[in-house]
Amino acid sequence: MIARDERSADTPAPVGVGLRAPHVAEVMATRPAIAFLEVHTENYLGGGPAVAGLERLRHDYAVSLHGVGLSLGGADPLDRRHLMRVKGLVERIQPALVSEHLAWSVGGGAYLNHLLPLPYDESRLEATSRRIEQVQETLGRAILVENPARYLRFRHSPISEPEFLTELARRTGCGILLDVNNVYVSSYNFDEDPLAYLDAMPTGAIGEIHLAGHATNDAAGRPILIDDHGSCVAEPVWDLYRRALARFGPVPSLVEWDTNLPELTVLLDEAARAGRLLRAAQGRERHVVAA
Amino acid sequence: MSSPRELERDFAVALLGGPDEAITGQIQGDGLEPAARIAIYRHHVLVTLTEALEATYPVVVRLVDRRFFAYAADRYIRDNPPIGPCLFEYGESFADFLSAFPPCRDLAYLADVARLEWAMNRALHAEDAVTLDPRWLSAVPLDEVARVKLRLHPSVSLLESPWPIDQIWRTNQPGADPEATVSLDAGGVRLEICRLEDDVVFRPMTSATYAFERALATGLDLQRAVDAARSADPSFDLTPALGELLDQGLIVGASAPSIDTGGPGCKPTQHPC
Repeated sequence: MIARDERSADTPAPVGVGLRAPHVAEVMATRPAIAFLEVHTENYLGGGPAVAGLERLRHDYAVSLHGVGLSLGGADPLDRRHLMRVKGLVERIQPALVSEHLAWSVGGGAYLNHLLPLPYDESRLEATSRRIEQVQETLGRAILVENPARYLRFRHSPISEPEFLTELARRTGCGILLDVNNVYVSSYNFDEDPLAYLDAMPTGAIGEIHLAGHATNDAAGRPILIDDHGSCVAEPVWDLYRRALARFGPVPSLVEWDTNLPELTVLLDEAARAGRLLRAAQGRERHVVAA
Repeated sequence: MSSPRELERDFAVALLGGPDEAITGQIQGDGLEPAARIAIYRHHVLVTLTEALEATYPVVVRLVDRRFFAYAADRYIRDNPPIGPCLFEYGESFADFLSAFPPCRDLAYLADVARLEWAMNRALHAEDAVTLDPRWLSAVPLDEVARVKLRLHPSVSLLESPWPIDQIWRTNQPGADPEATVSLDAGGVRLEICRLEDDVVFRPMTSATYAFERALATGLDLQRAVDAARSADPSFDLTPALGELLDQGLIVGASAPSIDTGGPGCKPTQHPC
């Protein structure tokens, strides 16, 4: 596991970056001082140099496998073939973390390559819990489930998202991957309070925090935030991250960047900033322990 | 309120450019038309799947230019969305789509260039496999050699085209001489595409070696593969053709009537006796 209560000042804070193909060679050559690398599981389910390279990096870094294709919140049964391929990669890489999303992506036989929203109601809660349990049984370990960025709400959706995630964690033993950028984006898009969202999340279940940039788009005259992972983390999201660390403790944290990928150093600078905030939170926790 | 399956189907239809009335009726306005909210998701789906196709087909992008490619990709994606979550497996039928796409009628070679790029993509991501130890063959009883069946590495594809697609591919690589031209009269080509170590490579083949490998790939035994090669060229010699496959590590399994390295995925035994 990635240590969340590291006490030594010499050990890097449990901060990682999302590893994307254009950065792999540089990471291999320079081995930057970060605690972990996160990759999209679906990009490593074949053979060849991609997975062999990840195996090599695994010697120096903890790896987090972040899936986008299990469609945990979908109506269809789990895709067994896909799940078995994920299991094969988990066995090969022995990742520190395995995560997926509270979303669906397969509808009418098509894989839509998007983390699509579901209505939050009791029947979906039950069905999603069952699927998470199947995944955890198959993989032989607990997974983390991430809150999605949302651009719409359904008319029928009687359960709040924090409540839905809390209940998933309670019923299945899964952890929660708290994406604070997604909390900010979704809250902004529906005029809700992101702090209230954090306050509604359970303190013991957060296993990882995600940070990323977002874009502001004009949708018919109304600004809409889009979780495009295409820029530096926005200041209000850093503020929210500080609040999350205060509430949930020094949880392993990761900076993601997918579109308009910058130089690796830009990404590492963002991770270093997260590391400083995380260290400060560790200090506070130590202070509390000492007191 | 529709069932979860109906809701997903209606959502998927709207994302792929179909009517959105069924799904918009289930969405709150929240100060913005539900159709505009669906459009945000649709945009992401089409943009990211177009990017996935661009990544797999960079030479086709170059040949038709990026804007036209996006137009063709949009049509393709709506009718042929992915069926699985690994994007490196998406787009196998794009070449067939291009060959039937009326605006591409005048680019007769385009679909075969796409087939070459697909074969290279497939080679890059093909499953790893353990190479057959050449000593295996020497342990086969002489009277069984003709009936030996060989399994090629999963990264191997064989491609035949009436166009010089290998030259077209090379002249459209980053850093290629921008003045270089390819004569379409240069004639056709037969190619073997595979992964050697970490690199995807292709090489031209004679009609005989092409027929030989194609026969092996379809599961025929050595005798039939040699027959196929000799019907293309009576002077075909088995020893160098087989030696090259073994040297490159492109044979990953074998069976003879009395010995077997096992089914697909099994490691070949080094000493079958």
